[in-house]
Amino acid sequence: MDFLLDGFLQAFTLLWRHDPAVFSAIGTTVRVSTASVLLSLLLGIPAGFVLGYADFPGKRGLRTLVDTLLSLPTVFIGLLVYAFVSRRGPLGELGLLFTLPAIVIGQTILALPVITALTAAAVEALDRRLRPTLTALGAGGRQILLTTVREAHFGILTAAVTAYGRVMTEVGISMMVGGNIKWHTRTITTAIALETGKGEFATGIALGLVLLAIALGVNFSLSLLKRRWQA
Amino acid sequence: MAEELYRLENLTAAYGGRTVLHIGELVIERGAAVGFAGPNGSGKSTLLRILALMEPPTGGTFHFRETPLRHVSFSDRRRVSLLLQEPYLLKRSVFENVAYGLKVRGVRRDITRRVIESLSWVGLNKDFCRRRWHQLSGGEAQRVALAARLVLKPEVLILDEPTASVDARSAYLIREAVARARRMWGASLLIASHNHQWLEEVCERVVFLFQGRIVNAGLGNVIFGPWKRRDDGRVEKRLSADQRIVLPAPADSRQVVIIDPTHMRLSVDRPAAGETCSLAGTVLSIAHRPRADAFLVTVAVDGHHFDVRMTPAAFRHLSLWPSDPVYLSFTPHDAHWL
Repeated sequence: MDFLLDGFLQAFTLLWRHDPAVFSAIGTTVRVSTASVLLSLLLGIPAGFVLGYADFPGKRGLRTLVDTLLSLPTVFIGLLVYAFVSRRGPLGELGLLFTLPAIVIGQTILALPVITALTAAAVEALDRRLRPTLTALGAGGRQILLTTVREAHFGILTAAVTAYGRVMTEVGISMMVGGNIKWHTRTITTAIALETGKGEFATGIALGLVLLAIALGVNFSLSLLKRRWQA
Repeated sequence: MAEELYRLENLTAAYGGRTVLHIGELVIERGAAVGFAGPNGSGKSTLLRILALMEPPTGGTFHFRETPLRHVSFSDRRRVSLLLQEPYLLKRSVFENVAYGLKVRGVRRDITRRVIESLSWVGLNKDFCRRRWHQLSGGEAQRVALAARLVLKPEVLILDEPTASVDARSAYLIREAVARARRMWGASLLIASHNHQWLEEVCERVVFLFQGRIVNAGLGNVIFGPWKRRDDGRVEKRLSADQRIVLPAPADSRQVVIIDPTHMRLSVDRPAAGETCSLAGTVLSIAHRPRADAFLVTVAVDGHHFDVRMTPAAFRHLSLWPSDPVYLSFTPHDAHWL
């Protein structure tokens, strides 16, 4: 067990001394995760609103599909994106393979069903009197959408946090389409996988602690926001 | 002749293939106050949602301001506002709730003054503006919801049981605010309520609905079954150990009877036995209906409430007061099976 204790001590030292390799991986993770979650929110909130609010033929089937996509394996998304952005793929000419945008594309595919499904659930859970109330007050289509989203903001915020946690902790996409290139596309999770393989527990533990700290920070902020909105 | 606000002909509404509303003809003039009475499930709320242009009828003709429903413009739809029985307030402050309708209309000027003014109409002072939606009692929430409609000064104000689940003071303030809407900007009022006396006071006419149909042009006393068949071929409903209503049996298996309040009479002495059906009861409440110059007396008979419409002369002759014992009578021929 000594190696674990040593690992923790070394991890704190690496963080305290602002180890460049560790902080490069942290920076990359935060950048790609934030970009992919923002992109997913942009696409997922309107999609989730339609799925939760409107009635249309095939809605139940589409809902089942979105729910199924929640458990999409990251390696499968990695494989799919790899096939598209590799030189032989339809997007090969863009030269996206082993770049941060490739990871963002993959992570957006991962986060989109989470945002869509949880937004739809949040909208469905809204009081059934909301729609007649908004109509009675003279709201039009766009105003109904914006107000409904605002009424469901707790649920949507939870969706964003859940999606952020999912993309930040995935390995498959970052490894396959990012290539785990040091100083460039290495993320916290791919670094942990690599360092653990090399027997370098200290770096792995340091990065793991950072992941935990980020998760804690995000959830704490969410809880603060909820309290402020309810006050 | 007043301009037509609504015209409904052979209008139907159905849910899941089951017709819940069938209105043969209903015309409402601009500026009118119309009450909708009837037991729960009679189709009042469905009719009000259709009149509020919130859901289209399944069939029939519907005209609003002489325009077919599908051609009614968005700006015309905004002339109508519905207040639900159980209000929904946005998860915001009272001020934002009341100001919402103004903001979606693009109004930016004078919002604060208008919000405070409309809150005052429902008996809430400006200190309420900052309160959050979850810091209000049921009655306050209903009044805030009403203020959110009144601030828009809608041409048509539709109220679905607005005082059904609020305290007495809130109910009074809501009734006052509704009367103010009519006085101040001549709003047309369409009100569904079980408070028949209020309907009689405010509305020029009351439409009585039962099982989705208009069954009486005015209030009605509905008596539900079960009716027990007697040896003499008639049917009876026992109200208590010593009081019963006996009527000629219906031709079929109908179980509900309606009696028009104008066909019921009150007396201090027990009427002579005969063809008349009489019941001993107590005066519950009395309301004056100024427009028709009539009194509406509600009598409690063993837990059942009956409305009786009386002329001022008849009312003065009996000089009734609430809690007075009275005899309620009607001839069986005035009872109609539904």
